[in-house]
Amino acid sequence: MKRLVPLIPIAVVMGLAGLAQSALNDYYQRILAVIAINVILAVSLNLTNGYSGDFSLGHAAFMAIGAYTSAILTLPVRMKAVVLPDLPPWLGQVELPFAVAVVIGSGLAALVAFIVGIPVLRLRGHYLAVATLGLMVIVQVIALNWQPFTRGARGINGLPPFTTLLWAYGWMLVTIAVIWRIVHSSFGRAMMAVREDELAAACRGVPIFRTRLLAFVCGALFASIAGALWAHLITAITPSSFSFLITFNVVAMVVIGGSGSITGSVIGAVLMTLLPELLRRFETALAIGGQPLYGLSQIVVALMMLGVMLFRPQGLMGRRELPEVLAAMGIGVPTRPSRVEAAGEKTAQAQTPG
Amino acid sequence: MSRISGFRLLTVSITFAALAAACAAPPPAARPPAQPQEQPTAPAAETIKIGALYGVTGGMSSIDAPGLNGMKLAAKQINAAGGVLGRQIELIAIDGKTDQTATTNAASEMINVHKVVAIGGLNDSTFALAAGPIAQQAGIPFVTAGATLPTLPEQIGDFFFMAPFGDDAQAYAIADYAIDDLGAKTAYMLVDQAYDFTTALAKFFKERFTGRGGTIVLEDIYKSGDTDFSAQIAKVKALNPQPDVLFISAVPSEAGLTTKQFRDAGLTQPIISGDGFDTPLIAEVAGEVADEVYYSTHAALDNPDPKVQNFVKAYTEEYGRGPENAFAALGYDTLNLIADAIKRAGSADPKAIRDALAATQGFNAVTGEITYQEGKRKPNKSVTIIKVQDGKYSFVKEIKP
Amino acid sequence: MLTPSYVAQQVINALNIGSIYALVAIGLTVVYGILRLINFAHGDMMTVGAYVALAALTALAMPAVAALLIAMLVVSALGIVIERLAYRPLRGAPEVAMLITSLAISSLIQNGATMTLTAQPRPVRLPAELTQRISALGLSFAVMDVIIIALAIALMVALTLFVQRTTLGIAMRACSENVRVTQLMGIDVNRVIAVAFAISAGLAAAAGVLWTGKFGIVDPFTGFLPGLKAFVAAVIGGIGNIPGAMLGGYLLGFAEVFFVAFMPPEVSGYRDAFVFVLLLIVLLVRPSGLLGAREVNRA
Repeated sequence: MKRLVPLIPIAVVMGLAGLAQSALNDYYQRILAVIAINVILAVSLNLTNGYSGDFSLGHAAFMAIGAYTSAILTLPVRMKAVVLPDLPPWLGQVELPFAVAVVIGSGLAALVAFIVGIPVLRLRGHYLAVATLGLMVIVQVIALNWQPFTRGARGINGLPPFTTLLWAYGWMLVTIAVIWRIVHSSFGRAMMAVREDELAAACRGVPIFRTRLLAFVCGALFASIAGALWAHLITAITPSSFSFLITFNVVAMVVIGGSGSITGSVIGAVLMTLLPELLRRFETALAIGGQPLYGLSQIVVALMMLGVMLFRPQGLMGRRELPEVLAAMGIGVPTRPSRVEAAGEKTAQAQTPG
Repeated sequence: MSRISGFRLLTVSITFAALAAACAAPPPAARPPAQPQEQPTAPAAETIKIGALYGVTGGMSSIDAPGLNGMKLAAKQINAAGGVLGRQIELIAIDGKTDQTATTNAASEMINVHKVVAIGGLNDSTFALAAGPIAQQAGIPFVTAGATLPTLPEQIGDFFFMAPFGDDAQAYAIADYAIDDLGAKTAYMLVDQAYDFTTALAKFFKERFTGRGGTIVLEDIYKSGDTDFSAQIAKVKALNPQPDVLFISAVPSEAGLTTKQFRDAGLTQPIISGDGFDTPLIAEVAGEVADEVYYSTHAALDNPDPKVQNFVKAYTEEYGRGPENAFAALGYDTLNLIADAIKRAGSADPKAIRDALAATQGFNAVTGEITYQEGKRKPNKSVTIIKVQDGKYSFVKEIKP
Repeated sequence: MLTPSYVAQQVINALNIGSIYALVAIGLTVVYGILRLINFAHGDMMTVGAYVALAALTALAMPAVAALLIAMLVVSALGIVIERLAYRPLRGAPEVAMLITSLAISSLIQNGATMTLTAQPRPVRLPAELTQRISALGLSFAVMDVIIIALAIALMVALTLFVQRTTLGIAMRACSENVRVTQLMGIDVNRVIAVAFAISAGLAAAAGVLWTGKFGIVDPFTGFLPGLKAFVAAVIGGIGNIPGAMLGGYLLGFAEVFFVAFMPPEVSGYRDAFVFVLLLIVLLVRPSGLLGAREVNRA
């Protein structure tokens, strides 16, 4: 019976998504879809940035791979002949279902992450951050120059709008479920052990490099799914769609929610999607002397990021998950407190500058 | 410890939730009542809501913000004159933030939450291609104020209209001008690789220039955001013989930069370009070296034509400074074009507006006459050639299609 | 095409742009060395410096030198304030916390400037004697270009001397070795860090004034991209290391200019990708940058 408990929230979320899809207007559906995409991005980035302790700024690169792959594979053959006439025939003649294209895209992103990760993950800390940032620039430059496949600056538009709420939330649940399982498996513990103390982890026989590489590859895989969903929501992609801004936004979601907490990433993604959207309404409402305050929403979001960091630098959730919080408040099913996480909390607080 | 911080966590989350709930209050309630005080006849008449979609912050803001100002000015004038069909126009202006997600969200919010009957705005095809299909899907007419990719209406559909001419028209015009009036036989091309607009403009220019027997001696590229062109310039200087004209396909932020650096380096050939050069920055940045620059654009603000001068005067009175660039005039024209269509349709029904827009004949706009030929939603407007000399802009020629 | 004067001209171009990158990179490195902070708002301090200098030049009609000094002073003060409000409370928090606040500060500066000053780019006009061109031996450059290189080198030398010779400079180096031990030695670490931020921001302001003076234009996003590139430069050279940042800045300048200068356009489109591939190679061969000391494993 207890094994069926996790199925309840899944059924509830999918039911609500289905309901929303039939009842809400396009605007609210769109916002909800963006939330789901951002949740996928944040939760998957958390795998490296939160759990294995490798700070990556390259998430947008994998999104771009997923988006372009899915765009090229699903575009109707008739349109492809006009839009991308220089594709090799074996690509020009295919038109795959959305789900298949998404899976192929994520496989490709994982492969790229694997190949790139082998040299790049030899780096640590901020060096790794720059290297992954570089990966993003490289992917962007390739998208800009590889005309036959990407149409360069013009980008690919007129993509079929496949991203419904059911797809978005379906993939979101898959992402959360898989990453939850990974994090709570022995492999997840290995990741956290590497993050906390590499030497100690190595002494206990944790394969350091393989663990980090696998976290990186998994993160890339799901980022690619989010990229494909995004592409088929917006229906037009260009190389500049996958920029620093997106990466930074996702990093902010993870950190605000709490690096090392899946619940936190979900909360961070929801907040960082809704707030700018809601604040935007004040920009015109609070017009001073008839001049709307455009830019206000970005400023308030920035101030809130500052606020969260200053008063709760470990993020809203720290490293806890929803069941633990509920248990701490005396609600819900008690779960085994994980020893590694409890230890993580302590070291995070004991860390000193320099 | 865990309990206490759990509590703190809870308070933080509740604050967030409360804030979010406060923001979620339906926007019409938060907005001060629109300006229906001096409505002449029907006091109960609802306003006609029209969306104004621009990237007022972020990278496009220097050309989108003037566009929005132009649209607002037009709305103010229309309302002061009694509105359309006895109803006031209410502009729903939402910031697209130069971001595709925010722009599509904004378009959808205009249509589904505010129930606009038409949308105008956007000066770049990247964003028009993302927002246009949403309006198309919902059956709401969308008029792009300044996106000049000629294939936009075909790509998006029958509810999409262009207020400006296409890149093909302006590139052909400046190529013709270079050959016929400047006597150019050879040209150098510097192309911004990062924009759809700049690459398309360059493609059409090359097509026309070489098609008429001209030669491109060197083609070079850069990427928007670059500020230093010294490497490219040294390459041009090393050319022997020198090209007759320098064609620079750039957006406004690089127009002043390139002009200044090319002239500073001692290259004196005419510099030619398209409407990306329509910015006061050329004179402001390059100063007295801003010489022999020619570009094709939508309107000449020193055109003595009263409709142009009235616009310049009204804009200056409203904002305390002259129009920043032609995109201000295009925004102004866009709203007037939509209002005119509503008037001719005799109804504020989106479908009727679309049909009236499609039937537009000889609409007298600041940026030239707009006529949509049968089945085409891109006007065959005349192209204006402007010359910059000693830091001053002057009208040289109007090229009719 | 490859005449000696062509190559020499491109070398001058590279030195010019490289000098500015080097100045920005040094500012980043000074702070990184002590706090391990990647300051994403560093480029935006360039923007603020440029706007301050512009105001001093136009509204107050100051001479260019005074405008430069005012900009450096104002932005240094701003750097201290930002450190006090946004970074000091975060000492001891995970490293990325400060990185996130620096992103927030960057967004605040960019959007604040857009709101108050509009995003319309503004021209920056320097006095004519600075923009005058010098042509010699088939080479051509402006007086400004000479000043950029000279000023950048002067500032770098001054900073190096400061760090090597003065007590405060030695305290800064001590802090970058180990903040806690330095504190135990009776050094006011807060003061040292405040000084580091002031120097860093002042250098950014100087770079911002030079940048906008050279190119003649400023808008709210002017500094962001150079800031990001300078970060790459600092890492190539070995972040935290002042000569390394200089080297990285010049290398980046040379890579950017030479790639355009000696490659056909079909290839030069890949310039930014090439720069990063170069970065990756450098990092893989020398994981702490060209001149960086091997970092002690900080677990």
